[in-house]
Amino acid sequence: MNGTPLLRVEGLTRHFPLGHGLFGRRAGRVHALTELSFTLATGRTLALVGESGCGKTTAARAIAGLYRPDAGRVLFKGSDLAGLPRRARKDARRAMQMVFQDPFGSLNPRLTVGAIVGEPLVIHRVGTRAERRARVDDVMRGVGLDPRDGQRYPHEFSGGQRQRIAIARALVIEPDLIIADEPLSALDVSIQSQVLNLMKDLQEARGLAFLFITHDLAVVDTFADEVAVMYLGRLVELAPRDRLFAAPRHPYTRTLMAAVPVPGRGKRAPGSIPAGEVPSPITPPPGCPFHPRCPRALPVCRAEMPELEDDGGGSFVACHNPEPPPAFMPAGNIR
Amino acid sequence: MTRYIIQRLGESAVVIALMSFLIYALIGLMPGDPIDLMISSDPRLTPADAARLRAVYGLDRPLLERYLSWAVAALGGDFGNSRLHVRPVLDVMPTFLLNTVKLMGLSFVISVTVAIPAGVYAAARQNSRFDHIVNLLCFAGISVPVFWLALMLIIVFSVMIPILPASGVGSIGGGGVWDAVRHLVLPVTTLTIFSIGSYTRFVRAAMIEVLRQDYIRTALAKGAGRARVIWVHALRNAMIPVVTVVALSFGTLLSGALITETMFAYPGMGKLIYDSIMGNDYNMALVTLLFATAVTLAANLLADIAYAWLDPRISYGGSEGVRP
Amino acid sequence: MTALPPALIHVRRGMVTLFARRFLDHRLAVASAVVLALLALLAVAAPVAEWALGVDANAVSLAARFLPPSATHPLGTDELGRDLLARLLYGGRVSLIVGLAAALASAVIGTVIGLAAGYYGGKLDIVLMRLTDGVIALPLLPLLIVLAAVDLTKIGLPEALARDADVSLYRMVAIIALVSWTTVARLVRGATLSVREREFVLAATACGAGPLRIMTVHILPNVVSPIIVATTLSVGNVILLESVLSFLGLGIQPPIASWGNMLTGAQELIWSAPELVFWPGALIFLTVIAFNFLGDGLQDALDPRAIAR
Ligand SMILES: Nc1ncnc2c1ncn2[C@@H]1O[C@H](COP(=O)(O)OP(=O)(O)O)[C@@H](O)[C@H]1O
Ligand SMILES: [Mg+2]
Repeated sequence: MNGTPLLRVEGLTRHFPLGHGLFGRRAGRVHALTELSFTLATGRTLALVGESGCGKTTAARAIAGLYRPDAGRVLFKGSDLAGLPRRARKDARRAMQMVFQDPFGSLNPRLTVGAIVGEPLVIHRVGTRAERRARVDDVMRGVGLDPRDGQRYPHEFSGGQRQRIAIARALVIEPDLIIADEPLSALDVSIQSQVLNLMKDLQEARGLAFLFITHDLAVVDTFADEVAVMYLGRLVELAPRDRLFAAPRHPYTRTLMAAVPVPGRGKRAPGSIPAGEVPSPITPPPGCPFHPRCPRALPVCRAEMPELEDDGGGSFVACHNPEPPPAFMPAGNIR
Repeated sequence: MTRYIIQRLGESAVVIALMSFLIYALIGLMPGDPIDLMISSDPRLTPADAARLRAVYGLDRPLLERYLSWAVAALGGDFGNSRLHVRPVLDVMPTFLLNTVKLMGLSFVISVTVAIPAGVYAAARQNSRFDHIVNLLCFAGISVPVFWLALMLIIVFSVMIPILPASGVGSIGGGGVWDAVRHLVLPVTTLTIFSIGSYTRFVRAAMIEVLRQDYIRTALAKGAGRARVIWVHALRNAMIPVVTVVALSFGTLLSGALITETMFAYPGMGKLIYDSIMGNDYNMALVTLLFATAVTLAANLLADIAYAWLDPRISYGGSEGVRP
Repeated sequence: MTALPPALIHVRRGMVTLFARRFLDHRLAVASAVVLALLALLAVAAPVAEWALGVDANAVSLAARFLPPSATHPLGTDELGRDLLARLLYGGRVSLIVGLAAALASAVIGTVIGLAAGYYGGKLDIVLMRLTDGVIALPLLPLLIVLAAVDLTKIGLPEALARDADVSLYRMVAIIALVSWTTVARLVRGATLSVREREFVLAATACGAGPLRIMTVHILPNVVSPIIVATTLSVGNVILLESVLSFLGLGIQPPIASWGNMLTGAQELIWSAPELVFWPGALIFLTVIAFNFLGDGLQDALDPRAIAR
């Protein structure tokens, strides 16, 4: 693969300051996201997984430019969004759209569905009013909504329909990348697969790239090309999907897979459900953030933060004592 | 804490300085000027004389220059003479101030003495008949035009049933303490009706908020005496916001006092302000208005400090200071 | 509009009914709405009443001073022989117009300030909220008196215009709005702070919407409830301010009648004609209390969790 990747994230960090303590002392920072790095190519899907509170939403929002990062940068089609002048940044935003976690919160209750779906077109001054209408109708049909519903308000729709509205809004301007923050978590299981299939179809039809955030490994299995696993704000493992499922190398990935049965992959992967509580992101433990819960922890894990390293087989893992690599490589990871 | 107080004092000083300029400028825009007044009292003065006089008094200089020379004199303690009282402004003020303190103090004490039990009781029995009646009376107090209330009280108690004097602080020739008290009844009643409604609502709202809190519910559930929980524990906590809003509403009380004093020809600060504005007494208007502003700001500052002091959740240094 | 499935019609209606039911529960607010509608109707119908009675609200007649109530003069005449009822109706017109206009103007000022402070936050928020606190803290009535007393010719207005009675109306609206926007500003700021964090605002930002669009399209429509409540509540205050300034001779200038300036000479009338003193003030009282009840009821109906003023 050559040329600039569609999306390149380098050392992205966001630590939320906590409110001021008594007498103006700073009370600390939430280490929501620390040094996240990865690349995503055109037309592919990267799944970002991890337990609730590990910084997935923060990552998505920092990448979309909604949070100012404390360190690191986001290169979209080779240029740093934060460094662009206002106009150019607005243009860049055209090609990067977002679907939020909560389909109830992410639609303005005072706008009609038609206005919501068509808003990106209005913001970027695309077409005439009539052309925009036609485009909105098209997209609504594309996601399985009745264009006549454009006159109605969000509260008249079910969660699944709302998420379709949100997806239609992300699609209407024909972006190259969609950042989807747990788009299925608020939906019923039956509707989840519908929406997931919709996104898969769209990807095939339009060559869209997805940054797909989820805590559900079953979903990852059907949709992702690559998987990034986060723990306490840090990337701990980044691997092609099949490789990750066949042979997770980070002990955390392993326990995560043990906790979730993966349909179609036979029995649960061996390993134990992690013991103990997730440490607070305000006072992350020294060394590897996972060491207090890690079955394979060594003394060095307590002191030193492991670097994310290429294991030579297409995976990156941040661990002093990773699981052994698989005996053979599944075919899926060869690009 | 000390740093916070110093910072707030500094801010208040800046506000006072800005207000003094603003008021100075506005007063310069009121009808007529001192020379016009001289001309109207002495028909022999020609327009040329007037121009010369303006130059002598420096009235032809730019506004900022005139203001600065006033400010320099004022900082040295010289606020000029009152035109209406023909005495230095500062000599006139004390008696008026004392009268206002009497009026506002008395009415404040009465308002609070009634507002606290009424508000607490209404909050403790939300939506009871008592609560509804209190609510109705509060709205009436908030909504009544003070000048008309004064007129109606005068009509009823001085004209129809002439038992109380309608104006002044004492009968001509003096009549002792009893006479002075009789003169206070109507003004104090007016000002009390004006302020009591909002005070009661403050108390009621704060109590409802406190009674919703878990620790009060727990205390009640544990069987602590209901009366004791409400009147001691809840009331003590409700007083924090109440003290603050009451102090913050000082400016409103002052406005009420101005109307009340004017209506009853009661020689207090409010009437002094009003008369000096209407009587082109520029020096007096300027000083009394500034004084009223300074006192109001001081009340606000005290409210903020009291709030910060009483509520441990507030930080003093941060920029995200919370106001009730 | 397309036909809704029955279940959805139910949802839609449910929200409206909920509001209506909570509002109707507030019997005083409903009564107030009726009273205000009647007052507005009467004020609009002032010329009709004049014509029906065959009187002229501004015609001075020294022969007809202090007439007792009669068929032509249902409430009698005033100290200049003018029909009291007709003047009260015209006065209501002025008080209501000035009250509503000044409340709307202050709502606009307060909304702009509250939106900007809440949306931008940071330094701008601190500055704007200090300004708001500062205005709230000032002794407003004395300052309003000074503002109302300012000689407009001294700021360059032509003599004729400065003395014009209609100008006194606009001027009242302007200076009252200048000091009454604080309640709206605070409430809008508070509401903006919470709406700003909602995901649909982030979604619009992610799409590339600018601050102006975010504030007008996304935040404003979601903060109308506090604006409506605060504006309704401030109408009462505004009418009180207008009436006291007019009473002091600094507000609406005769011959235009306002409830306030009808009482200007009242101190001389308390002996001779106390009923002339009663009516204008009673109507101010009624109007103000009705607006306050209405605002209270709207507050309960629109946001049942908000604490009372
Ligand atoms: N605006 C914020 N201010 C302070 N802390 C935050 C903020 N947003 C998220 N956090 C904290 O950052 C951590 C990561 O949150 P988030 O990115 O929402 O996780 P996830 O989406 O993986 O559940 C959590 O501990 C959360 O409490
Ligand atoms: Mg999340």
